[in-house]
Amino acid sequence: MKISTTRFNELEVDKKDIISFKEGLLGFENLKKFFIVDPGDQTLILWLQSVEDGSVAFPIIEPKIFNPDYSVKLLPAEFASLDLENLNTASVYTILTIPQNVTEMSANLKAPVVINNVLKIARQIVLQDSKLEVRHPMYIDLKKYIVNFTSDDSKRTNITPIADPSPEEIMSPSIKTVPANKPMNKEL
Amino acid sequence: MLVLTRKLGESIAIDDHIKIVVVQIKGKQVRLGIKAPKETKIHREEVYKAIQEQNTEASQADLSEISKLTDELQKK
Repeated sequence: MKISTTRFNELEVDKKDIISFKEGLLGFENLKKFFIVDPGDQTLILWLQSVEDGSVAFPIIEPKIFNPDYSVKLLPAEFASLDLENLNTASVYTILTIPQNVTEMSANLKAPVVINNVLKIARQIVLQDSKLEVRHPMYIDLKKYIVNFTSDDSKRTNITPIADPSPEEIMSPSIKTVPANKPMNKEL
Repeated sequence: MLVLTRKLGESIAIDDHIKIVVVQIKGKQVRLGIKAPKETKIHREEVYKAIQEQNTEASQADLSEISKLTDELQKK
Protein backbone atom coordinates (compact mmCIF):
# COMPACT_ATOMS: atom_id res chain seq x y z
CA MET A 1 0.00 0.00 0.00
CA LYS A 2 1.10 3.56 -0.68
CA ILE A 3 1.46 5.98 2.21
CA SER A 4 2.26 9.65 1.79
CA THR A 5 4.47 11.17 4.46
CA THR A 6 5.77 14.68 4.98
CA ARG A 7 9.38 13.58 5.57
CA PHE A 8 9.84 10.75 3.07
CA ASN A 9 7.20 11.64 0.46
CA GLU A 10 5.30 8.62 -0.80
CA LEU A 11 6.35 5.23 0.52
CA GLU A 12 5.32 1.78 -0.58
CA VAL A 13 4.68 -0.38 2.47
CA ASP A 14 3.92 -4.06 2.63
CA LYS A 15 0.83 -4.67 4.77
CA LYS A 16 2.69 -7.28 6.79
CA ASP A 17 5.20 -4.65 7.91
CA ILE A 18 2.58 -2.50 9.59
CA ILE A 19 2.79 -2.51 13.37
CA SER A 20 -0.31 -2.11 15.54
CA PHE A 21 -0.22 -0.03 18.70
CA LYS A 22 -3.50 -0.88 20.39
CA GLU A 23 -3.19 2.04 22.81
CA GLY A 24 -1.28 4.37 20.52
CA LEU A 25 1.66 6.23 22.06
CA LEU A 26 1.35 8.54 25.06
CA GLY A 27 -0.02 11.83 23.74
CA PHE A 28 -0.86 10.15 20.40
CA GLU A 29 -3.53 7.71 21.52
CA ASN A 30 -5.52 8.09 18.29
CA LEU A 31 -2.72 6.79 16.05
CA LYS A 32 -2.65 3.01 16.03
CA LYS A 33 -0.72 1.97 12.95
CA PHE A 34 2.95 2.58 12.29
CA PHE A 35 5.83 1.20 10.26
CA ILE A 36 9.58 1.58 10.50
CA VAL A 37 11.49 3.64 7.94
CA ASP A 38 15.24 3.17 7.58
CA PRO A 39 16.62 6.21 5.75
CA GLY A 40 20.02 4.48 5.67
CA ASP A 41 22.02 7.41 6.99
CA GLN A 42 25.14 7.26 9.19
CA THR A 43 23.28 8.06 12.41
CA LEU A 44 21.67 4.59 12.76
CA ILE A 45 18.43 6.41 13.56
CA LEU A 46 15.22 4.89 12.23
CA TRP A 47 11.75 6.43 12.10
CA LEU A 48 8.50 5.15 13.49
CA GLN A 49 6.16 6.55 10.87
CA SER A 50 2.42 6.84 11.39
CA VAL A 51 0.19 5.30 8.72
CA GLU A 52 -2.81 7.41 9.67
CA ASP A 53 -1.05 10.78 9.88
CA GLY A 54 1.76 11.27 7.39
CA SER A 55 3.18 14.19 9.38
CA VAL A 56 3.78 12.13 12.53
CA ALA A 57 7.03 10.18 12.81
CA PHE A 58 9.27 9.51 15.77
CA PRO A 59 13.04 9.16 15.46
CA ILE A 60 13.97 5.89 17.19
CA ILE A 61 17.13 3.93 17.84
CA GLU A 62 18.12 0.62 19.41
CA PRO A 63 19.29 1.60 22.89
CA LYS A 64 22.02 -1.07 22.91
CA ILE A 65 23.91 1.05 20.37
CA PHE A 66 24.67 3.84 22.82
CA ASN A 67 23.98 2.03 26.10
CA PRO A 68 25.06 -1.64 25.98
CA ASP A 69 23.98 -2.18 29.61
CA TYR A 70 20.39 -1.12 29.04
CA SER A 71 17.95 -3.90 29.76
CA VAL A 72 14.19 -3.88 29.66
CA LYS A 73 12.44 -5.67 32.50
CA LEU A 74 8.80 -6.29 31.71
CA LEU A 75 6.13 -7.42 34.13
CA PRO A 76 4.21 -10.63 33.37
CA ALA A 77 1.14 -8.59 32.42
CA GLU A 78 3.20 -6.57 29.95
CA PHE A 79 4.62 -9.68 28.32
CA ALA A 80 1.06 -11.01 28.10
CA SER A 81 -0.26 -7.80 26.55
CA LEU A 82 2.24 -8.22 23.72
CA ASP A 83 1.69 -11.97 23.49
CA LEU A 84 5.36 -12.51 24.29
CA GLU A 85 7.04 -15.05 26.54
CA ASN A 86 10.42 -13.35 26.43
CA LEU A 87 12.19 -10.67 24.41
CA ASN A 88 13.83 -13.07 21.92
CA THR A 89 11.27 -12.33 19.24
CA ALA A 90 10.87 -8.67 20.18
CA SER A 91 12.56 -5.43 19.17
CA VAL A 92 13.19 -2.65 21.64
CA TYR A 93 13.60 0.96 20.54
CA THR A 94 13.84 4.25 22.39
CA ILE A 95 12.29 7.43 21.09
CA LEU A 96 14.72 10.28 20.55
CA THR A 97 14.23 13.98 21.08
CA ILE A 98 16.49 15.92 18.72
CA PRO A 99 16.42 19.66 19.40
CA GLN A 100 17.93 22.41 17.20
CA ASN A 101 21.17 22.00 19.12
CA VAL A 102 21.62 18.37 18.17
CA THR A 103 24.28 17.72 20.81
CA GLU A 104 21.49 18.05 23.39
CA MET A 105 19.64 15.07 21.95
CA SER A 106 18.14 12.63 24.42
CA ALA A 107 16.57 9.20 24.52
CA ASN A 108 13.52 8.10 26.45
CA LEU A 109 14.87 5.11 28.38
CA LYS A 110 11.93 5.19 30.78
CA ALA A 111 9.33 4.29 28.16
CA PRO A 112 10.75 2.19 25.32
CA VAL A 113 8.74 0.91 22.38
CA VAL A 114 8.57 -2.89 22.47
CA ILE A 115 7.50 -4.67 19.29
CA ASN A 116 6.45 -8.29 18.93
CA ASN A 117 8.21 -9.02 15.63
CA VAL A 118 6.07 -12.04 14.83
CA LEU A 119 2.61 -10.62 15.48
CA LYS A 120 3.57 -6.99 14.67
CA ILE A 121 1.94 -5.63 17.77
CA ALA A 122 3.65 -3.05 19.95
CA ARG A 123 3.35 -0.85 23.00
CA GLN A 124 5.20 2.01 24.54
CA ILE A 125 5.84 0.60 28.00
CA VAL A 126 6.55 2.77 31.03
CA LEU A 127 9.14 0.83 33.01
CA GLN A 128 8.98 0.74 36.79
CA ASP A 129 12.74 1.33 37.32
CA SER A 130 12.87 4.82 38.81
CA LYS A 131 16.48 5.39 37.77
CA LEU A 132 15.60 5.46 34.08
CA GLU A 133 15.22 8.90 32.55
CA VAL A 134 12.63 10.20 30.11
CA ARG A 135 15.32 12.46 28.65
CA HIS A 136 18.58 10.60 28.92
CA PRO A 137 21.37 12.61 27.24
CA MET A 138 23.22 10.27 24.90
CA TYR A 139 24.86 12.33 22.16
CA ILE A 140 28.41 11.60 23.40
CA ASP A 141 27.77 7.87 23.66
CA LEU A 142 26.26 7.73 20.19
CA LYS A 143 29.18 9.70 18.80
CA LYS A 144 31.68 7.34 20.46
CA TYR A 145 29.95 4.39 18.87
CA ILE A 146 29.82 5.97 15.43
CA VAL A 147 33.43 7.21 15.52
CA ASN A 148 34.67 3.74 16.50
CA PHE A 149 32.52 2.24 13.82
CA THR A 150 33.89 4.48 11.05
CA SER A 151 37.51 4.39 12.22
CA ASP A 152 37.36 0.58 12.22
CA ASP A 153 36.16 0.76 8.65
CA SER A 154 38.97 3.07 7.58
CA LYS A 155 41.58 0.85 9.23
CA ARG A 156 40.26 -2.09 7.29
CA THR A 157 40.25 -0.35 3.92
CA ASN A 158 43.65 1.30 4.32
CA ILE A 159 45.51 -1.56 5.87
CA THR A 160 47.77 -2.51 2.93
CA PRO A 161 48.89 0.85 1.48
CA ILE A 162 49.39 2.86 4.68
CA ALA A 163 49.99 0.40 7.49
CA ASP A 164 53.59 -0.48 6.51
CA PRO A 165 55.31 2.88 5.99
CA SER A 166 53.37 5.13 8.36
CA PRO A 167 53.90 3.41 11.73
CA GLU A 168 57.68 3.41 11.20
CA GLU A 169 57.82 7.00 10.05
CA ILE A 170 55.73 8.27 12.89
CA MET A 171 56.84 5.90 15.58
CA SER A 172 60.58 5.76 15.01
CA PRO A 173 61.41 9.44 15.67
CA SER A 174 59.37 9.44 18.85
CA ILE A 175 60.85 6.18 20.02
CA LYS A 176 64.31 7.55 19.35
CA THR A 177 63.84 10.84 21.12
CA VAL A 178 62.20 9.49 24.25
CA PRO A 179 64.65 6.76 25.24
CA ALA A 180 67.61 8.88 24.18
CA ASN A 181 66.82 11.64 26.65
CA LYS A 182 65.43 9.58 29.50
CA PRO A 183 68.40 7.34 30.23
CA MET A 184 70.69 10.34 30.13
CA ASN A 185 68.64 12.18 32.74
CA LYS A 186 68.45 9.11 34.91
CA GLU A 187 72.18 8.60 34.76
CA LEU A 188 72.82 12.20 35.72
CA MET B 1 -14.76 10.98 40.68
CA LEU B 2 -15.28 9.34 44.04
CA VAL B 3 -14.00 11.55 46.87
CA LEU B 4 -13.29 10.08 50.32
CA THR B 5 -12.05 11.74 53.49
CA ARG B 6 -9.38 9.85 55.43
CA LYS B 7 -7.40 10.53 58.60
CA LEU B 8 -3.77 9.74 59.26
CA GLY B 9 -3.27 5.99 59.38
CA GLU B 10 -6.55 5.21 57.65
CA SER B 11 -6.67 3.53 54.31
CA ILE B 12 -8.63 2.83 51.18
CA ALA B 13 -9.01 -0.57 49.57
CA ILE B 14 -9.31 -0.89 45.79
CA ASP B 15 -10.45 -4.27 44.55
CA ASP B 16 -9.24 -7.05 46.79
CA HIS B 17 -5.53 -6.51 46.46
CA ILE B 18 -4.77 -2.79 46.48
CA LYS B 19 -4.53 -0.76 49.65
CA ILE B 20 -3.64 2.92 49.95
CA VAL B 21 -2.66 4.23 53.40
CA VAL B 22 -2.23 7.83 54.54
CA VAL B 23 1.20 7.53 56.13
CA GLN B 24 1.98 11.14 56.95
CA ILE B 25 0.40 14.59 56.66
CA LYS B 26 2.78 17.53 56.74
CA GLY B 27 1.47 20.95 55.77
CA LYS B 28 0.46 20.69 52.10
CA GLN B 29 2.10 17.30 51.62
CA VAL B 30 0.54 13.91 52.05
CA ARG B 31 2.61 10.74 52.09
CA LEU B 32 0.78 7.72 50.80
CA GLY B 33 1.72 4.10 51.19
CA ILE B 34 0.56 1.74 48.47
CA LYS B 35 0.23 -2.00 48.84
CA ALA B 36 -0.43 -3.69 45.53
CA PRO B 37 0.41 -6.90 43.68
CA LYS B 38 3.79 -6.89 41.94
CA GLU B 39 2.30 -6.57 38.46
CA THR B 40 0.43 -3.36 39.29
CA LYS B 41 2.02 -0.34 37.68
CA ILE B 42 2.31 2.67 39.92
CA HIS B 43 3.77 5.95 38.71
CA ARG B 44 3.59 9.56 39.74
CA GLU B 45 1.37 11.25 37.16
CA GLU B 46 4.25 13.57 36.18
CA VAL B 47 6.01 10.57 34.62
CA TYR B 48 3.19 10.15 32.10
CA LYS B 49 3.10 13.90 31.44
CA ALA B 50 6.86 13.96 30.87
CA ILE B 51 6.57 11.07 28.40
CA GLN B 52 3.71 12.75 26.56
CA GLU B 53 5.77 15.90 26.23
CA GLN B 54 8.82 13.96 25.13
CA ASN B 55 6.78 12.13 22.49
CA THR B 56 5.31 15.39 21.20
CA GLU B 57 8.72 17.02 20.97
CA ALA B 58 10.25 13.92 19.38
CA SER B 59 7.59 13.86 16.65
CA GLN B 60 8.58 17.36 15.58
CA ALA B 61 12.08 16.38 14.47
CA ASP B 62 12.62 16.44 10.75
CA LEU B 63 15.35 15.42 8.35
CA SER B 64 17.22 18.74 8.64
CA GLU B 65 18.06 17.89 12.25
CA ILE B 66 19.21 14.46 11.15
CA SER B 67 21.54 15.88 8.53
CA LYS B 68 22.90 18.34 11.11
CA LEU B 69 23.39 15.40 13.46
CA THR B 70 25.10 13.37 10.75
CA ASP B 71 27.63 16.19 10.20
CA GLU B 72 28.16 16.68 13.91
CA LEU B 73 28.64 12.97 14.61
CA GLN B 74 31.26 12.64 11.91
CA LYS B 75 33.47 15.47 13.21
CA LYS B 76 36.54 14.00 14.83
